[in-house]
Amino acid sequence: MAPLNSLSKEYPLIDSNFQTFCASHAIYSVEDFLLHDLDALFASAANHSNSERLKQGIHQLLLIVDALHPPVLNGLQLIEDAKRNKHVFSTGCEGIDALLGGGLRVGQLTELVGPSSSGKTQVCLMSSSTVAKNKCSVIYLDTGNSFSPQRIAYFVGQSSDYVSVNQADHRLLQNILDRIICYPVFDVYQMFDLLHQLKINLRSQVFIDIVKSDHQVQVLIVDSISSLITPILRGNGPQGHALMISSGFLLKQLAHEHNIAVLVTNHVVGGDDGNPKPALGESWKSVPHVRLLLSRDCRSNVSNISIIKHPAMASGRSATSTRLFV
Amino acid sequence: MEIGMLPISASKRGKLLAAGYTTLHSILRTSTTHLARDIEVSESEALEILNFATRSSDLDKSSGSNANVIHGGQTAWDMLNEERFSSLITTSCLDLDNILGGGINCKEVTEIGGVPGIGKTQIGIQLAVNVQIPLDYGGLGGKAIYIDTEGSFMVERVLQIAEACIEDLSEYSHHFYKDNQAFGVKMHPNSILENIFYFRVCSYTEQIALVNYLDKFVTEHKDVKIIIIDSVTFHFRQDFDDMALRTRLLGEMSLKLMKLAKNFSLAVVMLNQVTTKHIEGSFQLTLALGDSWSHSCTNRIILYWNDDERHAYIDKSPSLKSASAPYSVTSRGIRNSTSSSKRIKMV
Repeated sequence: MAPLNSLSKEYPLIDSNFQTFCASHAIYSVEDFLLHDLDALFASAANHSNSERLKQGIHQLLLIVDALHPPVLNGLQLIEDAKRNKHVFSTGCEGIDALLGGGLRVGQLTELVGPSSSGKTQVCLMSSSTVAKNKCSVIYLDTGNSFSPQRIAYFVGQSSDYVSVNQADHRLLQNILDRIICYPVFDVYQMFDLLHQLKINLRSQVFIDIVKSDHQVQVLIVDSISSLITPILRGNGPQGHALMISSGFLLKQLAHEHNIAVLVTNHVVGGDDGNPKPALGESWKSVPHVRLLLSRDCRSNVSNISIIKHPAMASGRSATSTRLFV
Repeated sequence: MEIGMLPISASKRGKLLAAGYTTLHSILRTSTTHLARDIEVSESEALEILNFATRSSDLDKSSGSNANVIHGGQTAWDMLNEERFSSLITTSCLDLDNILGGGINCKEVTEIGGVPGIGKTQIGIQLAVNVQIPLDYGGLGGKAIYIDTEGSFMVERVLQIAEACIEDLSEYSHHFYKDNQAFGVKMHPNSILENIFYFRVCSYTEQIALVNYLDKFVTEHKDVKIIIIDSVTFHFRQDFDDMALRTRLLGEMSLKLMKLAKNFSLAVVMLNQVTTKHIEGSFQLTLALGDSWSHSCTNRIILYWNDDERHAYIDKSPSLKSASAPYSVTSRGIRNSTSSSKRIKMV
């Protein structure tokens, strides 16, 4: 917490007199202030020579603290916000949509877990193509050079009735592909920089009141977040762990405040009993809102998807899909 | 926890927090001398921290009318158009090239794994030669980096393959330019050998140091178009007590290789060994280094024996269909399989 003397430039009430008064009670930072008994502090201020100014100083500090917490919402406001803002985006794959209750939900962090080559990147690419076709923007963070615009063009062509490649279709494809922006990301700090920049851009857009949904990003995909976090986890100190949790927090904050649906992919590692379990450990388990497990039948084109965790569906429910590998 | 996102050491971070600097804003408000005095570091270190913080907060100021554009990204449409001109490195085996969509892709990391003796090193050497095929003949005209961890690189074999490649190219040019005798291939096997940069690593630390150094090396040698690592697993399989350390090191190495491939538009080919894995009650062959490593490549090709014939199977790819194709290892290098019943199987 900030030391009190750093606040003196912006808030003239917290001058050196006030700081000396606080120091006499062993209060040097905002943290000490919050831990102190405020009634006792008020009483002690009343006994001072310039008690009015000191009391104003204490009120000022309390105001600063109050201004920092997010607004308190009641249930009715939450339901209205959900109806108005928290849409559902179809992934393009009926099996997955059925499991998710319609698709990727805005405000939620959805995680796809699965062994290598089980279809996680395919789901990400298919979701990008479906969302872009519905005139919304996608930001795709790619850590493994797996973003394939050819595959997305294939998905777009597959689910529409166009067979010929004439000028109009060409332009249509261009419009759709222009809504998907891919960022190659190769380390976790780079991802943080990008997400921060996104947050700042989105915050400034709120005041500009942009109506065109084309420019407002609606879906954010990180493929895969586990390859960014595995190199820093369990190293010297808890730093890697802290970064993992703050990245989850940042993604969820972006999802809720700016009405984005976030999709991340994770891989599996061997568990203690030989069964594979999702990577990134126990603490990460509680971070995503929805977790889906993907697997692929040996060398066939059928993929199995099941729910590990969902706020509204029973876990264990599963579905199959044959669209991902053709 | 904005301090946590600055790339500074953990001890400096701890000192900043203890002195009460928890947000970037609080760091920016002080001067270098104050910061140095508060957290007890030298002035130059304090200046470094201030620079990091200023750079991070400069993002605050980038809000113009085009505020929705963040640097570093490309739209899918631009990438699709770029891909049309993307470079492919042929493997000299037509069937294999077909299932790969033309050859090994630049800008991607491809992992090739198989049992010992199946021809991994042979494919590596063939690719190191094929990347040098001149632009006139449909090649890339680039150079190759060969990182050898096992010592299986035989220069005589490279010479053999290089000579065969030049012979094939002259035959090709002879077919197309039958009248013009002057269209001889102006390549000599020695020049092919000259364009392969060979590194021999003997421990995992050397391997990691080399991957870190490659960034500088490729900046100086901009015509390198392929990096072959043979084999990437050798030094990590034995004598590694700390599995967590191994996972971290491998994860970091794979991210660096991905970055090299993307930034310099070159192909990275990693050759890997196999191990057995217990899946669903039976033992199956999978590539070594565990589950976390299986995500460190863009494409994966598994080589296996099928009744005396060598086959290659695409195990993982974002855009290619799963298929397998036969190939053979001849004295001239990797070539099409000559068995009469060969056909490409779509799986």
